[in-house]
Amino acid sequence: MLPIAVDAMGGDNAPREIVEGAKLAVEELDVPVVLVGQPEALGDAGGLEVIPASEVIGMRDDPAQGVRRKKDSSLVRAAEAVRDGKAAAMVSAGNTGATMGAALLRMGRLKGVQRPAIATPIPVPGQTPTVLLDAGANAECTPTYLLQFAQMGAAFATARYGIKDPKVALLSIGEEETKGTTLVKETRGLLAGAGLNFVGNVEGRDLMSDAADVVVTDGFTGNVALKTLEGSLKFLVSAVFNAMNSSEEAKSVSGVLLDALSPVAAELDPDATGGAMLLGVEGVCIISHGSSSARAIVNAVRVAGEMVDGQLVDRLRGAVAAG
Amino acid sequence: MPAETHVERGPLDRQQVLELIRERLADILEIGPETINEGSSFTEDLDADSLALIELVEALEEELGERSVGFRINDEDLEDLKTVGDAVDYVVARLAQAS
Repeated sequence: MLPIAVDAMGGDNAPREIVEGAKLAVEELDVPVVLVGQPEALGDAGGLEVIPASEVIGMRDDPAQGVRRKKDSSLVRAAEAVRDGKAAAMVSAGNTGATMGAALLRMGRLKGVQRPAIATPIPVPGQTPTVLLDAGANAECTPTYLLQFAQMGAAFATARYGIKDPKVALLSIGEEETKGTTLVKETRGLLAGAGLNFVGNVEGRDLMSDAADVVVTDGFTGNVALKTLEGSLKFLVSAVFNAMNSSEEAKSVSGVLLDALSPVAAELDPDATGGAMLLGVEGVCIISHGSSSARAIVNAVRVAGEMVDGQLVDRLRGAVAAG
Repeated sequence: MPAETHVERGPLDRQQVLELIRERLADILEIGPETINEGSSFTEDLDADSLALIELVEALEEELGERSVGFRINDEDLEDLKTVGDAVDYVVARLAQAS
């Protein structure tokens, strides 16, 4: 397999955690990795090949302008490595919009895809995750965009989690077809007649359940839903720890509780998901969250390799063409 | 499709620039070229976001840069291009400057 290109400069903990993650990935997964970034900033790269890139697109840079102006940035060079057949896939924990822009402008859009979308796995303890898309790439959407998101999301759920004929749902404010925005109502009709395993509308509370394998929405709503879940889980974890330390009596049983809670916490750990996937471009592109640790990068590289082996891009191409 | 496969080499006139922009935009937005006219607003009529416009800009620079050395679209000017007609006027003017 060609190496996975890892943007060493992207993310809150770059380049240290990213480089460490890349080195660990090679050791643990036996997957080749090439780092992309400023060689002098990377420290000990553990002998990994480095594609030099002199610039960095920052978290606050305008995505489209950043990609256009910083042609020698690590993000742009990583996407070019995939385009030029030097890498099998790319992984970045950097600026999400710029990652999408670099992939779109350098790898190119899949023929027939109107807009690429970000598919984020929402952990569901004891079950396969729910794939939420769009998680933030397209704030404004049309019903046909959402139809394509559903087609791509279903293909991704099959490739990523082995789910045959995944259950596809539309995010709304109630199960009834009369509820929701004009976009939701018009999209519902399209999804019902698209040959997908469409199970109707679901609500935000269903995201962390087995109600659906794929939940489709516009990028604005999807991002709000995702961030609300993240904030809620963060609050909940903090509240549980505070409660366990709130008294001597509580502290005395905290060890037992921690043992019981650890597996649940592991399943909810965002570093374990392997990151979000950009669907609709001519290559595998993983968008890891900004605060990715070395472990998150290992998992992202693992998923990237699996999606290359699983011919994700061809599956997406087929899913959109068939629709 | 490279420019030389659908237009003859030499200076492009305004109509040829319009056709080129229409073709590229239709390809990027996955819509029919016949739905795009000079009066079409990028955002209100065509739902073209900033990345779609950058896709268009890069496609035009690649094609037209081969014909007119130094042809380039300034990012700062993009905000002023509200309609397809604005883009056609702009590209025609930049081509004249570059030649």
